[in-house]
Amino acid sequence: MKWAFLISGTIVVLAGCGAKPNSAKSKTVVIYVSEDQVFSEPILKDFEKETGIQVKAVFDTEEAKSTGVLNRLLAEKNNPQADVYWANEPVRADVLRQQGISTPFKPANAQQIPEQFKDKQGYWTGFSARARLLVVNRAAKTKPASILAYVDPKAKGKAVIANPLFGTTTVQMAALFAVWGDEKGKQFLAGLKANRVKLSTSNGESADFVGSGEFDFALVDSDDAVDRMRHGKPIDIVYPDQGEGEVGVLILPNAVALIRGGPNADNGKRLIEYLVSKETERKLAVADCAQIPLNPGVTPPKELKPIGQIRVMRVDYANLAVKLQSIQPVLKEWVGY
Amino acid sequence: MGRLLISRQITLWTAVAVLIIAGVLPLCLVLATSLADVGNYTSTLGNARIWRIFRTSLVLTVLTTVLAGFAGIPLGLLFARTDLPMRRVLTFALSMPLLFPPYILAVGWYEVLGRGGLLAQWAGSPVGEVTSRWLFGLPGAVLVLTTAFLPVVLLLTMTYVNAVNPTLEQAARLFSGWPAVIRSITIPLAAPGVLLSLVLVFLLTMGEFGAPAFLRVTVFPVATFTELTAFYNFGAATAAALPLVAVALLGLTMEQRVLRGKSFQFGWDGGREPSLLPLGRIRTPLCLLVTLAVLLVVALPLGALVFRGLSLAALGEAWDRAGGSAARSLGYSAVSATALAGLGFFLAYVIHRRAVVCWRWVDAAMLFLFTLPGTVIGIGLIALWNRRSTNWIYATPAILVIGYVAQYAVIGTRIILAGFAQTSSAVEEAAEVAGAGWFRRVFGILVPILGPSITMSWVVTFLFCLRDVSLPLLLAPPGYDTLTARTMTLMANGSAELIAALCLLSMSLTAVPLIVYGAARRMGSKAT
Repeated sequence: MKWAFLISGTIVVLAGCGAKPNSAKSKTVVIYVSEDQVFSEPILKDFEKETGIQVKAVFDTEEAKSTGVLNRLLAEKNNPQADVYWANEPVRADVLRQQGISTPFKPANAQQIPEQFKDKQGYWTGFSARARLLVVNRAAKTKPASILAYVDPKAKGKAVIANPLFGTTTVQMAALFAVWGDEKGKQFLAGLKANRVKLSTSNGESADFVGSGEFDFALVDSDDAVDRMRHGKPIDIVYPDQGEGEVGVLILPNAVALIRGGPNADNGKRLIEYLVSKETERKLAVADCAQIPLNPGVTPPKELKPIGQIRVMRVDYANLAVKLQSIQPVLKEWVGY
Repeated sequence: MGRLLISRQITLWTAVAVLIIAGVLPLCLVLATSLADVGNYTSTLGNARIWRIFRTSLVLTVLTTVLAGFAGIPLGLLFARTDLPMRRVLTFALSMPLLFPPYILAVGWYEVLGRGGLLAQWAGSPVGEVTSRWLFGLPGAVLVLTTAFLPVVLLLTMTYVNAVNPTLEQAARLFSGWPAVIRSITIPLAAPGVLLSLVLVFLLTMGEFGAPAFLRVTVFPVATFTELTAFYNFGAATAAALPLVAVALLGLTMEQRVLRGKSFQFGWDGGREPSLLPLGRIRTPLCLLVTLAVLLVVALPLGALVFRGLSLAALGEAWDRAGGSAARSLGYSAVSATALAGLGFFLAYVIHRRAVVCWRWVDAAMLFLFTLPGTVIGIGLIALWNRRSTNWIYATPAILVIGYVAQYAVIGTRIILAGFAQTSSAVEEAAEVAGAGWFRRVFGILVPILGPSITMSWVVTFLFCLRDVSLPLLLAPPGYDTLTARTMTLMANGSAELIAALCLLSMSLTAVPLIVYGAARRMGSKAT
């Protein structure tokens, strides 16, 4: 057995070197990330390189539907392990405010970001956004211009939407319920069923269905749309409800929050400043995730309009968090969960 | 004498206490917490969706077990008792999927049958659409898990067939032909082992998380994981796991019934090699058929993975993104395997010598923990250790090592127990009469004698820890993830090349324990 202990010891030392153990707390920051690891990790690596502060991250999986690390934060409320939460939309970041898990911090680098995309008290700050857009197959006979196309009898059996229990489609539903009112929201859900709208497992799958021509259109995140366009799929992007008096496009910025009682608060603040900076927004715009910058003067991905040219849905993200909780039973029943 | 007896009892009870703290206590805690609100159970178990998922899990598990048995038992007999050419090569090739997590095979099949896979490129995208829909569903999950767990049936069938005393077969051959001998002697004698392999496949499939998650098949472990991570509802997650607990108990009962009172002498040493059934004219066609099957179910998906991921750019990116995780995977697995070998030795001693009153419960608890999905054990460990006062466990990789110890204690123990079964207790008794103390007997006599079993236990548990997905996903502290966890998180929007390269990296890690085992065997043979 001696050799086994010897080998174990050697490997542990090697693994320890790989892990860069936390020798000095002040040179470490812990972040929980809901944004896809493949896009967020390079940004965090750049931060490490530029500051010398080691980033320890926990990322979400597909199966956790972007809420795994949020729930880990909730579980660790009395024993916080993280300094920063990087959410891929602001509603769940606001849940942390409501639960007393985050603490206010207004980063200087976010001063030019429109107020609509920041919490007034500084509990979270939005940056690099996704828009909820319609992707339409070029061969489709009808071109939808509104989300209400889903319940138009002409589109019966021709549209697909991601499961509204998870991810950004949940937020979309909460936004529609908030803007339209509960009654119209429920009618819309009933209309989806009556119009035989297909339920997919994710926005990516919805975009694939439209790209392959199985369905005419789908409501997806802008990054899913851009990805399929870049892969040569025959789809067009439609910004829904852009007319006068219409509800506009739901914008979902990334949101970053400082955790109350986190072990490395100062480094957490530095990381937040870095994440909301123009430089990070530029990187996320040119990356495959094709995020729309919120800081003025940063060029958006070529397939997408700048934020200033989009009619944006006027929503209060804090209210959406409350609405999201209240409509969850409705959505669960609708999905048959 | 009294002091020696006390030190022996303290050591053995300490080993039992480690098992209780690592596995039993967390489960009791989470069960007690969830029972505090009976609504968790009424709402979760009264939900039709839970039973739909249970039905999916059961269908997947039964189909996988039947197919693995249907293919694995004849192949085991073929490789163990016939003169089929290339038996060793074919056995190794078919056993390869057991070395790495099943989701790697799922990714491999995705490269073949997915929308942009090899088949779609060759036969056109409409074919790819159909095969992709087929793969991302129950048929695909059955295909992947059958391929992944077929080696369990194959290897255990071979092991138990080889354990049949050849003189019995040779005596029977005097009166009847080979088919009758196989039917009447070999199969009945090996049947308990074959049944055990089927029970194991059943339980492994029921608890599998990675492959069904990748293939978007909502089975129980995936539903429990989602319940915990997407809704963070401990109570509901525990309640949702209850049907799995029932299945685990069923498996435990079956295992006890199948093997109770039966002892097997492995490594038959009667001095006579078993004679092989001559296949005659069908020898070559049968060999070609089996080779074709191996190419189809193992070489094709793994080859597609290599084809996609074996580029300098992809491997470079995989190493850049996951090199540290790979090193940590090796480290955690090595530490856990060492702990499991040490714990396994003492627990095997407890069971074999019936050294503590509750030895049967110890055995049952270990098997029960193994049959539970990692998600359930993870939930229990979080509930127990997520406190400020225990951050030295919860915020460090120790929590993961504890999880591995809880889940895989039975494997390490059972392998060493098989070694104990082949060791005469007279050796230890003679040393005791000569005045050797207990520790001296253990480390001076038993450990050297059981060296090969302990080594095998280390290697096998190392592999199990290395391929585990659900425990690191739930328990790895920030900055301390494993390669399997990192691969799963990178699957969200990661490129196909990167995912394939990560799978290749994961596969290459499995070479480490095999090299260790090979080196240990060489050292052992030199020593003798």
